[in-house]
Amino acid sequence: MNLTRRSALAGVAAVAASTGLAACATAGGDDGDKVKQGDTSAENPLGVSGEAALEVVIFKGGYGDQYAIDAGTSLKQKFPKVAVDHKGIQGVGEVLQPRFVADSPPDVVDNSGAGRLDLATLVSAGKLTDLTSLLDAPSLDDPAKKVRDTLMPGVISDGTFDGKPLVLNYSSVLWGVWYSKSLFAKHGWTFPKTWDEMLTLNDEIKKAGLHPWTWQGKYPEYLNDPLVSLAAKAGGFDLVKSIDNLQPGAWQSPAMLAAAEAIYQLAVRGHIMPGSEGLSHTEAQNAWCKGQVAFIPCGSWLEGEQQAVTPAGFDMVMGTVPALTGSDKLPNGAVMAASSESFIVPAKAKNVPGGLEFLRHLFSQKVARGFAESAKALPVVTGATDGLSLSSGLGSVAEAVKAAGPNVFSYKFRTWYAPLSKALDDATGELATKRINPQQWAERVQKAADAVAKDSSIVKHQR
Amino acid sequence: MRHGKYRFLVGALIVPLALYGVFVLSPYLQAFQLAFTNWNGVDSAPEFTGFDNFGKLWDDPLFLAGLRNNGLMLLVVPLAVIVLALALAAATKGTRVYRVVYFFPQLLSVAIIAVLWQFVYTPNSGLLNGALSAVGLGSWRKSWLAEPDLALWCVMAVMIWSSVGFYVVLFSAAMESVPDDIMEAAAIDGAGPMTVFRRITLPLIWESVQVGWIYLGIAALDGFALVQIMTVGPGGPDNSTEVMGLGLYRTAFTFGKFGYASAMGVAIFFLTLSIAVLLLRVTKRERVELA
Amino acid sequence: MRTKHAFLTLWAALVTLPLLWALMSSFKTDAEIFDSPWTPPASPRFDNWSRAWEQASIGQYLFNTLIVVGGALALTMLLGALTAYCLARYEFPGNRFLYYTLIAGMLFPVFLALVPLFFVVDNLGMLGTYHGLILVYAAYALPFTVFFLHGFFRSLPGAVAEAAFIDGASHAGVFFRVMLPMARPGMVSVGIFNFLGLWNQYLLPKVLNPDPDHYVLAQGLAELAVSQGYRSDWSGLFAGLIIAILPVLLAYVFFQRQIRAGLTSGALK
Repeated sequence: MNLTRRSALAGVAAVAASTGLAACATAGGDDGDKVKQGDTSAENPLGVSGEAALEVVIFKGGYGDQYAIDAGTSLKQKFPKVAVDHKGIQGVGEVLQPRFVADSPPDVVDNSGAGRLDLATLVSAGKLTDLTSLLDAPSLDDPAKKVRDTLMPGVISDGTFDGKPLVLNYSSVLWGVWYSKSLFAKHGWTFPKTWDEMLTLNDEIKKAGLHPWTWQGKYPEYLNDPLVSLAAKAGGFDLVKSIDNLQPGAWQSPAMLAAAEAIYQLAVRGHIMPGSEGLSHTEAQNAWCKGQVAFIPCGSWLEGEQQAVTPAGFDMVMGTVPALTGSDKLPNGAVMAASSESFIVPAKAKNVPGGLEFLRHLFSQKVARGFAESAKALPVVTGATDGLSLSSGLGSVAEAVKAAGPNVFSYKFRTWYAPLSKALDDATGELATKRINPQQWAERVQKAADAVAKDSSIVKHQR
Repeated sequence: MRHGKYRFLVGALIVPLALYGVFVLSPYLQAFQLAFTNWNGVDSAPEFTGFDNFGKLWDDPLFLAGLRNNGLMLLVVPLAVIVLALALAAATKGTRVYRVVYFFPQLLSVAIIAVLWQFVYTPNSGLLNGALSAVGLGSWRKSWLAEPDLALWCVMAVMIWSSVGFYVVLFSAAMESVPDDIMEAAAIDGAGPMTVFRRITLPLIWESVQVGWIYLGIAALDGFALVQIMTVGPGGPDNSTEVMGLGLYRTAFTFGKFGYASAMGVAIFFLTLSIAVLLLRVTKRERVELA
Repeated sequence: MRTKHAFLTLWAALVTLPLLWALMSSFKTDAEIFDSPWTPPASPRFDNWSRAWEQASIGQYLFNTLIVVGGALALTMLLGALTAYCLARYEFPGNRFLYYTLIAGMLFPVFLALVPLFFVVDNLGMLGTYHGLILVYAAYALPFTVFFLHGFFRSLPGAVAEAAFIDGASHAGVFFRVMLPMARPGMVSVGIFNFLGLWNQYLLPKVLNPDPDHYVLAQGLAELAVSQGYRSDWSGLFAGLIIAILPVLLAYVFFQRQIRAGLTSGALK
């Protein structure tokens, strides 16, 4: 470290001649000023120092950051002398990436949103704290219950890498197709159960003078979600795995091709509002909220995002993506879901015990309920929404979770293989504008998947 | 010269050079080193991979798309800006208020320009489609930034829009320094306005034009902020607006390949350098011919 | 004549329309912006502006920007003029080398340097500080400043300086009392360019200035532009845009005579 400091100060000549990479950009940090774990007790199971400051960096996106501020307040009630430095930001990656390299990261990070840090990279570089001690600590609300027993199923495994829990996601996200309950009631429409019904209903909607579908054309990934959901329903968990495992030909499998054909039909039959391919997510969603369009694909954050511009009585609800065929491998309620808002405690954080304690407060009933109310999204803390009167959108999401039961699927390739996602997004944008057909689409995406599989510089994962 | 020359030079130059060395040169030198590694952005000990990264560039469809698009921008943007700016500078002679107005875009940050133009191009409630409908050209309405054949031209139009004003002011300032009596003499000799412009005005302001070529050439190799904020994807549709800077940014911050991204940066650097040198040579020769 | 004026008017309309439209939109509600982008607001919504100023902290960002840009501009002008003068008016070994090394800085794609630059700044303990940003801004503005002023100092007549030397002036004295005042038009031009460049700087603060309390205007606006993606506040975004544009625009209109004079002499070199 000192070497770096000196060479930087000495200027051009020294730097030009100096030391190679190890002493420059990629130099490691020192652990000198780390806060040691204090004595643990029932009141203080994680051994928090009552005085050390705590730096918390939160992605301030669709959910805002009030819930994290609440968690800080809750922590301060217990440890009044701890100064909690809360920062709500966007573009987490750009701000924190260099700090991780320098090994001077904050104590808690909500690594979310566009431009988040690549989790797989952080994991493989050993930059994250093992959260086992937090999971085994008593929960804030009920000392008889461990933190791990207060979380929804799947949350811990979502954040477990090679047997170590390193990430805890805060919010449960579902993907589906949204519509306005009041609009559908007015016209006597019901949400379709199969894709054929969807296409038939679309024709009816058109006759009523509305556009059946729109999508967030500037970001084609929004239309990928129903596409890969349809494929997962038809092809089952095996198909999802074969995609994530980069199996040869997976993107050209019958289920995936049929799903691409289904989306293609929307374009071919003129069910998509003209111009959608040039709209940003905000513009498309607003056209939908104004009642010009019947359906829009989106994740469960939509209601919170549209709060300010949704007309009264619009009553948005999320329907699960219809069945693709009559012989789908997954039952009708099956839904694509993932947990999001990934909380981590960096391994080189100055105040690791404090960071863990912050999470204990974050995953408490009180903070989680506040999250459900302010962010209109589902926290992963079980029972947190019990007794709350949920808004129409969040209510439909909670129902979808119940209806799906164990039939919840999620793809990992988007986080594992960013270059593949990019190729998929490009191809789907072309598919939805009829510039390529489903066969060409599948060929292109398969080619990209094969390229990722061949590229030795990309770390591979299996599921 | 006089005594104490070197003492003065050292005293005067040490601070700026140190500043430049520490904050500009040393990071670039480190980036050059990184270009030969597989650094992923967080690892403490990247591997040395030789010229691998540079070899990969030529098989990378995104980088090649960026190269192609920047190439087209290089052909179109500087020429269009200079022609337009020369015409406007000549036409605004004596009407100062236009030049004041034309300079406005120069005052805006690219980020602001990009956000504004996104609203111009947006299909259903955008300014451009609205204007077309208003003048009875409704059939010309398009999803401007969503059509692969048009998107890049739309981006270039914004680049041109935002740069012309500066060169109008620059060229008109240069034109004002051309003595009136030369022009009058030429006019009396029976030369038409075009001839006067081509044979007298242009050669006399060529130095300004040359500066313009080089700056615009360098700018045409960028385009990052506009593309990133405005376009579908971004960089789309179907990579039709991909630029090299965006590729570098994505490779580093989305794909986590900092070593490879640095190699892209190095390639862009050498390209920029060659084009600047080339433009300098080409434009210089022309000046000799004309003058 | 008529086509000429039509042409001039057309370009003026092209330039001003988007700006006027943004101004108008900053007084509309979100719904009005989407429903009827062309029509003026039913009643002007001044709360967009106050929301941008207070909630979105545009006021704080403006203050930060003034400090950083002001400091960096002063530093750049002083150091840039000194460097350009020395390189333009003194022969010494390595002169050309230094000049081209400096000029090369204009050709580097900036984000090639971003990550290593972060560590340099971090190691000096200047991350997220005003003085850190000022130094970095100045360093990155130096190449252009030197390039521009180098030609300017070259073209200045040497006789006055010679006379001053004969009168016993020191090297520094000649620079500050004789040459710098003579270079004033060039300084004005390059100062204007630098001001615009620094004012609109975005990439550098984004990486080197991670503390939201120290955000500069372009950074804060981008923040506003990003967060509109999550919770729509387009009217607030337009208000923020206008607040960011307005000071520069007003300064320009007010000082445009001086600015043009500066540009003219700059172009003449």
